[in-house]
Amino acid sequence: MKSIFRHLIFFFALLGSSNLLAQSPEQDFMRSMGKMYVVVAVIVAIFIGIIVFITLLDKRLTKLENQIKKNGKA
Amino acid sequence: MLKHWWKILGVLLLLFAFIVGLLTPLRPGINAISPSSAEFGTDLELLLSGYNLELNPANTPNLILWIDGDHIINAKEVAISGDSQIKASFSIPNEIPEEGLKELKVSLSDNINGFVTALPRLRMSGGEASSELATQKWSGTVEILEQKSGFNFPFLPNVYESVRNTFYHVALWFAMFTLFTLGVISSIRYLINKNPEHEYKAVSFTSVGMLFGILGLITGAIWAQYTWNKAWSWDIKQTMTAIVLLIYGAFFVLRISFEDADQKARISAVYNIFAFSTIIPLLYVIPRLTESLHPGGQGNPAFGRGDLDNNIRMVFYPAIIGWILLGLWLSNLNFRLIKIKERILENED
Repeated sequence: MKSIFRHLIFFFALLGSSNLLAQSPEQDFMRSMGKMYVVVAVIVAIFIGIIVFITLLDKRLTKLENQIKKNGKA
Repeated sequence: MLKHWWKILGVLLLLFAFIVGLLTPLRPGINAISPSSAEFGTDLELLLSGYNLELNPANTPNLILWIDGDHIINAKEVAISGDSQIKASFSIPNEIPEEGLKELKVSLSDNINGFVTALPRLRMSGGEASSELATQKWSGTVEILEQKSGFNFPFLPNVYESVRNTFYHVALWFAMFTLFTLGVISSIRYLINKNPEHEYKAVSFTSVGMLFGILGLITGAIWAQYTWNKAWSWDIKQTMTAIVLLIYGAFFVLRISFEDADQKARISAVYNIFAFSTIIPLLYVIPRLTESLHPGGQGNPAFGRGDLDNNIRMVFYPAIIGWILLGLWLSNLNFRLIKIKERILENED
């Protein structure tokens, strides 16, 4: 759970930094190449979200596996 | 392998949406004109900056200023400067067909780029209304009137390349709504026959729907930052979605707070029906009644209306199905996990 939290903090830090970049109006990085990097950022955000979800599933599976192991021994 | 066809289909459709959605070029466009205003009856040196224009000195495009199909003037001279800049000189007649003409359209036309109209209009002042003389003086011609052929996406002001987010941000909402719908159907089925598997399904669909909703909100904020210059502008759709997600968030809080499995299942199923019934007014009725920054908000934007480009549709619809199938896959994994967990708990008892 803790590492997921760290992922999320990292992600929001990333979002925050891109907001800072956006302060200068016309040609900043995100707006260069016809705002193509906005699409990249959106895809990266979706990718991270799905990975976080899979990580959560993974954790719950590990818990179950441990439980089965424990039950088998008892 | 056959059993998994829908997973494969989902992945292939998303792959299609990513590859075609990212590689298809935008139609050529003209971003800016300088100067932005002129007077009737004077000579004008106009500088245009293009986007995705294919320019080569051997093939100078035809540049026109026009009022309507019958009133056109051609550029006297056209020079290409640099990659995407064009200089054109016009002599604009003083006679205009009607009083009160305040702007002219600027267009470029050749057989490579097709017919391209500049996004900004040229603001005009002066002019003398004289219908007959105007028809004589505004007698320019254009040969190519079609847009650039081939598979390409529209060039939209302010949005530019980020129009591709339609396949990622917008399609996610459709997938979210489908998952919430499946979730509420499972909840209703649970209430009818009390089969706990339906309850697990409802939870799985709803959690993946929640994931897509949160991602939709985040991707929307990123997109908004660079189109509306504000990640969160309390736009009606943003606000209503945040409310819907909070209502759905309470669904999961509610589930933790019950010890008894039977009670938990029944109350959360009823709550899920309530939560779903708030989506319709909050996301599909209220935003249509008020002003929104989101496009297609006013009136009754049903499928098949002309505001979505046909080439966009050809990627958009597969993308929706792809995201839905991916959501089904994720919720299927979640469902199987819950089922195993419940079985282990049963054995322990």
